[in-house]
Amino acid sequence: MKEKEVTIVPEEGLHARPAAEFVKAAKAYSSDIRVMKGDKNANAKSSLNLMSLGAKKGDKLVIQAEGEDEEAAVEELAALIEEG
Amino acid sequence: MDVTSKLVGVAASEGVAVGPVFVHSPGELKPERETIPEGTADVEIEHFQRSVEAVVPKLSETAEKMREAGNDNEAAIFDAHIELAQDPELAEGVAERVRNLESPEAAVLAVGEEYAEMFAGMEDAYMAARADDVRDVARQISAEIMGESSLGLEALDRPSVVLAHGLAPSDTARVPKGMALGFVTAEGSKTSHVSIMARSMGIPAVVGVGASIEEAFKADVVAINGGEGYAIADPDEEAISDIERRQAELDTERAELEQYKDTEAHTSDGRRIEVSANLGSAAEAAGALEWGAEGVGLFRTEFLFMERDELPSEDEQYAVYRDVVEAFGEKPVIFRTLDVGGDKDLPGVEQPVEENPFLGWRGIRMCLDVPELFKPQLRALLRAAAHGNLKMMFPMIVDADEVRSAKAMLDECRGELESEGAEIGSVEVGIMVETPAAALCAADIAGEVAFFSVGTNDLVQYTLAADRGNERLRHLQSADHPAVLNLIGQTCKAAEEAGIWVGVCGEAAADPSLIPRLVELGVKELSMSAPSIPKAKKVVSEV
Repeated sequence: MKEKEVTIVPEEGLHARPAAEFVKAAKAYSSDIRVMKGDKNANAKSSLNLMSLGAKKGDKLVIQAEGEDEEAAVEELAALIEEG
Repeated sequence: MDVTSKLVGVAASEGVAVGPVFVHSPGELKPERETIPEGTADVEIEHFQRSVEAVVPKLSETAEKMREAGNDNEAAIFDAHIELAQDPELAEGVAERVRNLESPEAAVLAVGEEYAEMFAGMEDAYMAARADDVRDVARQISAEIMGESSLGLEALDRPSVVLAHGLAPSDTARVPKGMALGFVTAEGSKTSHVSIMARSMGIPAVVGVGASIEEAFKADVVAINGGEGYAIADPDEEAISDIERRQAELDTERAELEQYKDTEAHTSDGRRIEVSANLGSAAEAAGALEWGAEGVGLFRTEFLFMERDELPSEDEQYAVYRDVVEAFGEKPVIFRTLDVGGDKDLPGVEQPVEENPFLGWRGIRMCLDVPELFKPQLRALLRAAAHGNLKMMFPMIVDADEVRSAKAMLDECRGELESEGAEIGSVEVGIMVETPAAALCAADIAGEVAFFSVGTNDLVQYTLAADRGNERLRHLQSADHPAVLNLIGQTCKAAEEAGIWVGVCGEAAADPSLIPRLVELGVKELSMSAPSIPKAKKVVSEV
């Protein structure tokens, strides 16, 4: 298992459109990927789940992946959140 | 003819049609079954999955259409809808409920509603608005499961007459091209959005038919005569042949009008009257030119600011304005600066709830108070002016002081751009005359501006104290009232004395019975929805 903490940079947080892009990227990996905010935990391949985190600019998230491509998954998704 | 099947309303947009009924009634989707028999859960879960697979291509087709029409923001919304439809958590939530013998059509609505309520409860206004997206997607899947292929207007896949209680601008915008033969609505007036949209799309519309719409919902076929303001549910042969006769007449008329498209409008005694188009988005520019627009008399800039999570940047606005003036070449394009009030949300601007948004903090009042809203627009317009014949006008003006304040802000922007070395063009500045105050102070204001543009819809509403959307006040919704015509006359007189010109950009500009009077009063430019242009040119040539 691999995980990384990131801070949300895009002004709009994890809204529908950024969430959709994030999900698209997550789906390219076979690993199970979770995104955690505090005690909330979401499936990274579900934009419904991600949006229900209510994550805003400046919030800290932990991205956690488990599977064959876990390293690459965490790196790419973390970059997406930090760079917008 | 059976009298009870006739729906009488406002003649909102000319044209006739006969076609199958399409009822647009959001909010009334009921699951066919609440529960399913034991042992069928697996089959029903598959049924749900197949329905998702059927909905997705429809959504991507809509997104594609929006993209082709240049509406990238709308396209992105439908892209997000696709993600929602295919969401694994949605599927899991539905599967769990179906395993407990809830029907899939009920389960998807329930799961969608759970998420929608969660989003609606978030403090973030943007997220709260996503609640509607989730509901929308859940409803589409549910309808698909029940074999109701169409719900939203975007799913309209055969040419039909659209019936509804009311239609929002986003509803009409979603209709696939060529699929709406006509619109019939219970609510609305000649100046409500559906009417304006219908006229700009050249589709017949009858609005404000009231409760009689309920009966028509049950009909298979509806005939509509938009020019005379009636529709007939399940028309008999006589009614159909009436419509066909009218269609033939309109076809002849249209062929006659063809010759006026490419001419400049002159009265019979040689006075030149410019006939221009009102546009609400950049995508409409090409269509307007085809109808023979001699320019744009009113370009509404609000679309750039609506339904998004942040204000449009100066560069984004500049690109849109530049494209429009370039499309029109040497022809003038008049941009109206942002005219929004408490009735519409603006991203990033805190608007108080107002009891009377149309008498509230809107238009130039808001823009002068919020420079971070107004200045990027002014800067974008100054820069776009380098690429064509650009003019701008300020809405909701009531006196010369407001004009001076707005011009001072414009000068400030010009100074900034010059010192930044940006390329800018010269811009003629005018105002909308849409409050009685502006017309009464016209002599005073005329010294500050290069032109007046009379917005008759609002001028009528404010002069006659009659809400333009109120169906019971139809008799008070026309510029053909002595008080309104007096104010227009005063405006023209003040303009003439100051050596500036007056245009009209409300509904009155396209009204054949009012055009001769406006021209006599001294109006030099008429601006209207594009399909009305050829006829207006013909009427002008007969004055």
